[in-house]
Amino acid sequence: MKVFRRLLGFLRPYRGGVFASLLLAAAAMGTGVLIPFLIGRTIDDIRDGGDALWLLGGVMVAAGVLRLAFSVVRRLVAGRVSLGVEFDLRNMMYRHLQSLELGFFDGQQTGQLMSRSTVDLQSVRFFLGYGLIFMMQALLTIVIAAAVMIAVNPTLAAVALAPMPLVIWAAARYGRLNRPASQEVQQRIAELTAEAEENVGGVRVVKAFAQERRQVRRFNQAVTRVFDQSMVSTRLRAFYNPFIGFLPQLGLAAILLVGGRQAINGTITVGDFVAFYGYVVMLTGPMRMLGVSLGMAQRAVASGNRVFEILDREPRLTAPVGAEPLPDGGGRVQMRGVSFGYDDGTEVLREVDLDVPAGGTVAVVGATGSGKSTLVMLIPRLYDVDQGEVLIDGVDVRDVDMASLRHEIAFVSDDAFLFSATLRENIAYARPDASDEDVEDAAHRAGLAEVVAELPDGYDTLVGERGLTLSGGQRQRVAIARALLAAPRVLILDDATSSVDATTESRIKEALGEVMEGRTTFVIAHRMSTISLADEVIVLEDGRIAAHGSHDELVEQSPLYREIAQRGLPDPQLVAAADAGREASGL
Amino acid sequence: MSARSNWATVRSERGRARRLGHLAALLRPYRGRVALMFITLVVAVAAALAPAYLAGRAIDAGIRDRDTEALTWIMIAFLGAALVNFGATYAQTYLTSWVGQRALQDLRRQIFRHLQRLSIGFYSRNKSGVLISRMTNDVQALDQLVTDGIVTLFSASLTLLGTAAILLALDVKLALITFSVFPVLAIASFAFRVASADAYKATREKIASITSYLQETLSGVRIVRAFGQEPRHERQFKGLNDENRDANMKTVYLNAAYFPSVELLSAVATAVILVFGGNEVINGAVSIGVLASFVFYLATFFDPIQQLSQLYTTYQSGMAALDKIFGLLDEEPELEDAPDAIELPPVKGEIAFEGVDFSYGGEGGDVLHGIDLHVPPGQTVALVGATGAGKSTLAKLVARFYDPTAGRIAIDGHDLRKVTEHSLRSQLGTVPQEGFLFSGTIGENIGFGRPDATGEEIEAAARAVGASEFIERLPDGYDTEVGERGGHLSAGQRQLVAFARAAAADPRVLILDEATSNVDVATEARIEHGLRRLLAGRTAIVIAHRLSTIQDAGRIVVLEHGRIAEQGTHDELLAAGGAYARLYEDWARQTAA
Repeated sequence: MKVFRRLLGFLRPYRGGVFASLLLAAAAMGTGVLIPFLIGRTIDDIRDGGDALWLLGGVMVAAGVLRLAFSVVRRLVAGRVSLGVEFDLRNMMYRHLQSLELGFFDGQQTGQLMSRSTVDLQSVRFFLGYGLIFMMQALLTIVIAAAVMIAVNPTLAAVALAPMPLVIWAAARYGRLNRPASQEVQQRIAELTAEAEENVGGVRVVKAFAQERRQVRRFNQAVTRVFDQSMVSTRLRAFYNPFIGFLPQLGLAAILLVGGRQAINGTITVGDFVAFYGYVVMLTGPMRMLGVSLGMAQRAVASGNRVFEILDREPRLTAPVGAEPLPDGGGRVQMRGVSFGYDDGTEVLREVDLDVPAGGTVAVVGATGSGKSTLVMLIPRLYDVDQGEVLIDGVDVRDVDMASLRHEIAFVSDDAFLFSATLRENIAYARPDASDEDVEDAAHRAGLAEVVAELPDGYDTLVGERGLTLSGGQRQRVAIARALLAAPRVLILDDATSSVDATTESRIKEALGEVMEGRTTFVIAHRMSTISLADEVIVLEDGRIAAHGSHDELVEQSPLYREIAQRGLPDPQLVAAADAGREASGL
Repeated sequence: MSARSNWATVRSERGRARRLGHLAALLRPYRGRVALMFITLVVAVAAALAPAYLAGRAIDAGIRDRDTEALTWIMIAFLGAALVNFGATYAQTYLTSWVGQRALQDLRRQIFRHLQRLSIGFYSRNKSGVLISRMTNDVQALDQLVTDGIVTLFSASLTLLGTAAILLALDVKLALITFSVFPVLAIASFAFRVASADAYKATREKIASITSYLQETLSGVRIVRAFGQEPRHERQFKGLNDENRDANMKTVYLNAAYFPSVELLSAVATAVILVFGGNEVINGAVSIGVLASFVFYLATFFDPIQQLSQLYTTYQSGMAALDKIFGLLDEEPELEDAPDAIELPPVKGEIAFEGVDFSYGGEGGDVLHGIDLHVPPGQTVALVGATGAGKSTLAKLVARFYDPTAGRIAIDGHDLRKVTEHSLRSQLGTVPQEGFLFSGTIGENIGFGRPDATGEEIEAAARAVGASEFIERLPDGYDTEVGERGGHLSAGQRQLVAFARAAAADPRVLILDEATSNVDVATEARIEHGLRRLLAGRTAIVIAHRLSTIQDAGRIVVLEHGRIAEQGTHDELLAAGGAYARLYEDWARQTAA
């Protein structure tokens, strides 16, 4: 109930609209109920000689016109309210998600968040936008019609309306049973889709091993599972739909039996008999709707719970009110006694002390899970330290305006995420107002020019998920250009050459050298060739700085570094562990 | 190309009838049930028409004639009709759904089987998402047409005809007056459907773009945060949200105009019937019960017309889906076994390219020119060259994923075009670049090429390439689920499993695309070792990225712009000081740096 009341709170800005649409609905339903009543009166008038026939006909048309006017205005007002609620909800949800810190997203699957911001949001807005109004409208119709029926003849009203609560019950029950059943169908279809995707993706393997027949067999099983589940859902539909249609017929039969006798006795007129029949026919729709909206209300509360879970999650990473922008400086980065752990409780960094002068280049090396990615993510304050402090040009990152901080730090990440936008927009991501010359200059320096020359629309080529697929090496260079154009004080590179061939790699290296000029740079290095770009190397082991110094110094002093230099990185755990996943998906 | 697309348009117009025919053919195996479905449908419609008539009879034969017994019988008939309608609708819904789902199930299988027949070239030309949606979304849209569409078409038409017949039988004059609203309603309804089909399409597009925007900014959340671009995304999202609201507002306008108008039309028609019919009753031409029946029929008379108008949308999207599906089914496999193709006998593994040219068609021009290459049985050939030099194309030709545009390729002297695809591929082993695995267990994946392999054989294959070490360390060993596309395993592990899969198939000829992904040194060493064991004693074409593989190869073939620039052993080529020597220098510099 608390959730329900909170959900209703979303309607507050539209109080006027909600109230008006309820009034209009009442008026429309009132004139609607008038019509069977008028039919009854007309029938009686015909029996009495038809003196008022034309008048009654005219009144009926007038009632129809009035109902039209009320309904049109109600639909417009209610439509505006429901679309407004939908608009607000969706914006609020999105704004809130954007205000949450990165740590929140680590603990969430994108699919889960998507489902909350689409499926759950949908059931909330359906209920607030339509369900609630339907419900009110249905209730009004039922109350008005029942009142008129009872006024004319309570006995007949009682028998005629007796099966009607069953309609509500059956409609609500059908909704409750059918929903999981049809969700299960969707689930099976999703499995079928996954099966198809895997086959289309792996078609070369299937063909190469001449295993077409086996794949057909597997797919056929998935198809059969869809069929079986569809039939479960069908059986429910096949029963409930005609059943819900059948129930009001009981009321109509009661009118024939009881009302017919009353009409013979003269307790009611033939006109009343016809009007009752009309009321029951008219009420079937609203009864059904009431059952459906009850189901909607239940779902909306359940979904509302999940939506509120997100909306109630406070952003944990905020700058103090009125925080100053990051003061000017050359990009000196210091860490003092920094310890950090993710929410799952594992400590990733311990007592890290670090001082990188403005313009210096540091290579961070270490095994998978040693905390390399985490360390660099603390610099733009993607996470807050648990202990100690991170300073840029002498200022604690927690004390400055977050936007100004992040504008001074650029990332080139391992996975080089691109947005579905033009190449130009992707390069200019950090500075949307950059001129074409600036964009092209950045692209040149990142070694992208030759790639652009081959693209169908040059800089205006749509890339990303819904556009042209760029190769790993091309994406890396776009990410480098993006960082270049941001002209940051501090640059962070996650070894950006994991999926490219040797020639491309050397080209990327050149581009990197270009970007690093005159900025403080952190490089997470996997290969000696990358390490060689740095003035200083930090070796991380279990979240501590095990050694730091120049390459030559470390070869002499650090056995761990010697091993890395000779054999490459130590063997990470073979089974992709949770933190390996984090590193892989991280920056 | 344009001639081809013109031809396609002509064919699609001519093909509509044929495609509907094909759709009907899908139902043929179930014709008994289809017939039963139609019988239940007719019964249900007839039973649904009875109540309004019976209610009129109740007035005339019961109330007017003061006959309570007749009233009771009418009530019993009324309840009987309602029960028959209940039962018949149940049966009809069930049968329709059963037949429809069965037919679509068959169609899905047909599409999938067809996809399996199509050649690799087809897959490279078509986005995988599109192919998948043929089996999912498009079939779903057909579902609407087959189940809802056909039933609505028949039940609404029958209801309309049945009502008309009853009304005419009751009173011709009143019936004709009632029918006069028909054209008004029909025109208004169809106009509404046409307009709202576009409006609803726009709303679906808007919501789809909102969803994908959301999806994208969620999966790219790190970049968004790192560059501090939240306000911009909020603005853009709000813009999309605004567009969505506007698109939806159009549907509100259309609905606000249409539905209340239909209600008004219904009220006006009722008033007209009552006034004219009332006079007829007073004149004694019509009984009061008949007039009441007219009023009752009017209450539902409009429903079938509205339902029929809805068919417009269903028909449109269903036919679009049908076109797309049959567009796919009409796609002929480019490579099919020649009619006189022979089974390739067990080979020694001698491969010969003789003057081979190849082009993917279109504007790209030749990818390979004048390739002459002779690989003796058991030799490993490393293909080296820049991206786009034609390495993978050359490798694909050996597996006959494509046919050369000129020249011939032979294995043990058999032209690839003269042997059956199955017999050729079952003697080839392929290791794709990223070690694509299928969801299932590790064991199943290793046995992929030989579904009859025993557990020992699978383990032996894993041992042979050095994959057994890591597999046996997993808690479930060979029964470990690899996840979708092998996602639960690391890149290096996927490689090793792919090696084991090739080893289990024990092919004479191996085609291998070396992975370039960055694995740590220990895994790298394991992979190198596995690779060496896998290559031993087989003819192998390797698209090589590892220096060690290249150095070990019996022969290195350097490709440049689709031509063989030079070939020989590592030492020979270094001594020659050509393209290979330059490439080698690049590597050496990087490794040393």
